[in-house]
Amino acid sequence: MMGVALSAEVLSKAVNLLAFVALGLTILLIVRTRLEGQVRVFGLQSLVLASLCVLIAIYSRSLELFGIGAALFVVKGIIIPRVLNRAVANIGLVRVATPYLGTAPALIICGILTIISFYVMTPIAASNPLPAADAIPLAFAGVLIGFFIMVNRRRAVTQILGFLMLENGIFLLALLATYGVPFIVEMGVFLDVLVAVLIMEVFVYRIKDNFDSIDVGELEKLKE
Amino acid sequence: MMLLSLLLIPLVAAALIALIRRRALMELLHTLAGLATLGTAAAIVAQVCSGAVLTAAGDLFRVDALSAFMVAIITFLGAIASLYAVGYIRAEFDGEHLSRARLFFALFHLFVFTMLVAVTTDNLGVMWVAIEGTTLATVFLVNLHQTRTSLEAAYKYLILSSVGIALAFIGTALVYYAGAAKAGEIAVNWSALSAAAGSLNPEVLRLAFVFIVIGYGTKAGLAPMHTWLPDAHSEAPAPISALMSGVLLNVGLYAILRFKSVVDSAVGQEFAGRLLVGMGLFSILIATAFLVRQRNYKRMLAYSSVEHIGIICLGLGFGGYWGVFGALSHVVNHALSKSLLFLLSGNILLKYHSAEIREVRGLLQTAPWTGGLFLAGTFALIGLPPFAPFISEFIIFRAGLETHPWAAATGVILLVIVFGGMLASVNGMLYGEPPADLPRGDALRVWLAPLAANFVLLLVLGLTLPTPFVAALEQVLKILGGG
Repeated sequence: MMGVALSAEVLSKAVNLLAFVALGLTILLIVRTRLEGQVRVFGLQSLVLASLCVLIAIYSRSLELFGIGAALFVVKGIIIPRVLNRAVANIGLVRVATPYLGTAPALIICGILTIISFYVMTPIAASNPLPAADAIPLAFAGVLIGFFIMVNRRRAVTQILGFLMLENGIFLLALLATYGVPFIVEMGVFLDVLVAVLIMEVFVYRIKDNFDSIDVGELEKLKE
Repeated sequence: MMLLSLLLIPLVAAALIALIRRRALMELLHTLAGLATLGTAAAIVAQVCSGAVLTAAGDLFRVDALSAFMVAIITFLGAIASLYAVGYIRAEFDGEHLSRARLFFALFHLFVFTMLVAVTTDNLGVMWVAIEGTTLATVFLVNLHQTRTSLEAAYKYLILSSVGIALAFIGTALVYYAGAAKAGEIAVNWSALSAAAGSLNPEVLRLAFVFIVIGYGTKAGLAPMHTWLPDAHSEAPAPISALMSGVLLNVGLYAILRFKSVVDSAVGQEFAGRLLVGMGLFSILIATAFLVRQRNYKRMLAYSSVEHIGIICLGLGFGGYWGVFGALSHVVNHALSKSLLFLLSGNILLKYHSAEIREVRGLLQTAPWTGGLFLAGTFALIGLPPFAPFISEFIIFRAGLETHPWAAATGVILLVIVFGGMLASVNGMLYGEPPADLPRGDALRVWLAPLAANFVLLLVLGLTLPTPFVAALEQVLKILGGG
């Protein structure tokens, strides 16, 4: 099918590199303070994942995986960043993300989460015969850091970005461990994520209308 | 064929309702769809009870006894809630708010559709997609009243459930990996995984199951991932609260059960059992702490759901024939009594326009039917005979005392505390001097008629254990390996 042949060794190195770049982009989201910049970082990460997906598709000669890569690029690389940019433009006013923790302590926590990830996932990766499996701990670190971003950021838009980074990490994890879950499932997942982001956008507007800010710290009426 | 129509009826109904402009037509279609779904489900359940396993669309859908059990709960309570919803929505959203009534009816059936897909599919990935779908279908329903508190509840619900379910996806991918790495081309189908369970990598499966329990446990309302639940369940309109508490939590539990049966046969029952006993006990503990000092009756019912999901998990964790049998019948009994109470809470809200316990006084005087049924429902919920939850709780803790005496004893003590706390709150609502300007008479009295079905079933299951019911549960037990 494909003219190019990739050796397992080359693939393993390329996958490691791209997974590392993806993790780096997740961490970059923490350093970036402006919302537009954060959206761009997410778009870039989706692009990296899509190319990684295509790379593995070429190696394993899987047309399905090729389709998944293309869909990832369209949904997470183009449509969702547009939706988010629209939201950022429409809310105007406050465009700076205000985290609970500052950049330096946040980066230290990222380091700790990465170590935890290697501790948990290395035995799993070791039992995996696929050449791409080495990068599994990197993918899982992306999941954990995405989760941390969600907890640490107050702005609804950044919280959504944290969720999307977490989603990307999970996608990468599934891709590396199994060469992707079946096509129909992956398409369903993309659809769910897309709908979820559209609904979240609506809620960002509603929160803005009701509370005059998109600071989710304001949401604290319901207790007990 | 029948299986596909079970799924198509609510989906088509949702699409059609979204297009209709006239209220009467909307209500008619909504009611018919609710009843038609129930009718189709009854035919399917009857077939499965006689030993058949139905499949459709290749190997995408597969209904065995466990699926049929869930289908029965979803469609039965769905039909009851849909009947009551007609009257409730009429009272809440008049002609000016017709678009919100339309949104409600359309999303109601979409919600039922996603739950039915989740429990009838054999593909664990599709199940994940459908369960995430239940969140997406209900989030606007939680925010239907468009108040600030309901906005807060809906946003938290959306974010927390999405993250929780994302973790469940890691679990699903790991299980898929355990299957694919071992046997080459195992699809992500439950029946294939279940058949090959013995040869799967136990190390990977253990890690996967932890993710599954955290992920789907968020949807099932297990503490400490339950924090969205009291907000969402109390802010949603009553018929949706009834379905979310009575049915949706069980769909989350169903997902855990599917994985548990695979993990059990791969690594033994010890591992999953211990995890579920721990989570169950912790959920009961947290719920008790919030239940005894609760000031809002809808939130009280929501925390009580956390408690009962905890009890069910205890039963599953205790294991053995009686533990699992008790857990399954408690799923039914809790669903029946909780949906009854949540629908009645809608009636109270319409009457008193407040969800605060101290605002509601003299309910038995102002609304005798609502008050009387609410009292009976509370008796059922806190485990008084002759109602069914008493029997199932008794079975669960009887089983637990033999295998896990400490956990069972702690559970019983917590239950007694809840018993006192809830009874005191409900007592305050039922008696006392009603507000002077409040007119007498039940809100929506005719619409309460469908609740008689819940009530009768709670009594029948509490006084006898009908043979067909036991036979059906035993079929489910065989799938779960507790037989």
